[in-house]
Amino acid sequence: MLEIRNIDAYYGKVQVLSNVSLEVGKDEIISLIGANGAGKSTLMKTVMGLLRPKKGSVIFQGEDITKIKNTKIVSRGIVYVPEGREVFPEMSVRDNLEMGAYCRKFSSREMKTHLEDMYEIFPKLGERQKQLAGSLSGGEQQMLAICRGLMSDPKLIMFDEPSLGLAPVIVEDMFRVIVKINQIKKIPVLLVEQNAYMALSISHRCYVMANGMIRLSGRSEEMLEESDVKKTYLGG
Amino acid sequence: MSIIMQLIISGIAMGFIYALVGIEYTLIWNASGVLNFSHDKLITLGAYIFGGTYILALKMGFVQGILLSLLTVAIVGVIIARTIFIPLRNLTMIYTIMATVMLGKIIVEGIRLFWGPVPFSVPGFLVGTVKIGKVVISRANIAIIITAFICVCALQLFLYKTKPGKAMRCVAQNRNAAQLMGIDVKTVMVTTVAISMIICCLIGVLVSPLLNISTTMSNMIGLKGFAAGVIGGFGYLPGAIIGGLVIGIVENFASMIFPSVYKDIAAFVLLVAFLLIRPKGITGKTR
Ligand SMILES: Nc1ncnc2c1ncn2[C@@H]1O[C@H](COP(=O)(O)OP(=O)(O)O)[C@@H](O)[C@H]1O
Ligand SMILES: [Mg+2]
Repeated sequence: MLEIRNIDAYYGKVQVLSNVSLEVGKDEIISLIGANGAGKSTLMKTVMGLLRPKKGSVIFQGEDITKIKNTKIVSRGIVYVPEGREVFPEMSVRDNLEMGAYCRKFSSREMKTHLEDMYEIFPKLGERQKQLAGSLSGGEQQMLAICRGLMSDPKLIMFDEPSLGLAPVIVEDMFRVIVKINQIKKIPVLLVEQNAYMALSISHRCYVMANGMIRLSGRSEEMLEESDVKKTYLGG
Repeated sequence: MSIIMQLIISGIAMGFIYALVGIEYTLIWNASGVLNFSHDKLITLGAYIFGGTYILALKMGFVQGILLSLLTVAIVGVIIARTIFIPLRNLTMIYTIMATVMLGKIIVEGIRLFWGPVPFSVPGFLVGTVKIGKVVISRANIAIIITAFICVCALQLFLYKTKPGKAMRCVAQNRNAAQLMGIDVKTVMVTTVAISMIICCLIGVLVSPLLNISTTMSNMIGLKGFAAGVIGGFGYLPGAIIGGLVIGIVENFASMIFPSVYKDIAAFVLLVAFLLIRPKGITGKTR
């Protein structure tokens, strides 16, 4: 589905990613964990075409998309739900969702069924569809950001720290929905998290990143078992 | 009584001009995060293209002249967006600000070279008055009010009901997220600058019956339009309209109470008062 091969990326002269390779298979949930500043968000931006890598390539559905325009990558079906939610604060919940389908030419009927689909996943959003997104709580904004991402029927969705700054109850909700998206809609997921236990418990495979390099990868279950992984990366 | 009505109506007319100025630079501010310091010169340029070239030199009809002027400035807008706003969009704001200041200078000197230094007027354009009951209104004021009103409504419809309009608001509210939706930020910026230029040109055309066409004709309008934005709520389009109308009406009444040489001060007294007491403006909203 998505294959990242030997990426080197820089901000100006500072190297942020070195020789990063990662793969997301069909129907998989992959988690990418690592401390703050490891380069996780930078990797997402590189996939989205917002940052051009110096070396390496990004392959999506068998095609090289490394040099493709960002808008084209979105319409090919890769969606990135960014860190910190980033909703459009002065637009209604509904308008936010509709903008999520910007790259699709939906008829008004299709738009309606998509909206109803989202309101089914998070009924709160339905209740608040006329409210300005900026007036929602942090948890509600995160739900909105997730649903906005789903509006365009993505072929791959990447979540960047969806649990950041949310209450534990809401975090559990969020992860349940991510699993549901993956199982019911059959959308492969790349999940970036600092909340490593949570991420490992819902993902199939996992990559651990530190200082811009992939340090470890493997099946999530096994990672949860291994004591040295715990010690080094999970803080336990 | 009819004097007061007349003052209110001419105040509303000037108010709409200030509102259009407020809208014209708010659009660019929202799309690119930069104040366009050449905006008053662009208004002047619009007036010169209309009056100097299409009407006086090429002897066109007014309607045809206006339409061609709008088309011309839209093209100029695309060029400005591609040479200034897009290349400089990721640098610190000061570079773009300096670039727009220099653009203003270039436009003024360009006008002097191309159209000459002597101010002129457009004969026969929106002259005369209309009497409604006891109130006498100039044709120019009626044209200003109607055109500005249509322009404001059309812009609101565009921004709130159409897909490209909504994309423009997305870029204004969160450029990063807009990119992630697949919105082409560069295209949006080009469109915004072109629309802004069209509004500038309309302002230039609308005030040409009131002022002589000269390189300094829009200095005061430019400043008061800026004040309109601040008084209404910076970055918020409906705020610019409210702020513009407030300034237009207040300064007209001020000219009734104080000697009319102080008329221009009214807007700036209001501006300073708002900055000190309520910097978020009347509406309290931004963007
Ligand atoms: N826009 C930027 N310009 C320069 N350096 C950046 C920028 N964004 C992030 N960095 C740096 O790149 C490194 C990786 O950042 P990031 O990808 O955001 O990490 P993570 O998402 O894993 O927390 C950090 O050292 C950060 O300071
Ligand atoms: Mg990050």
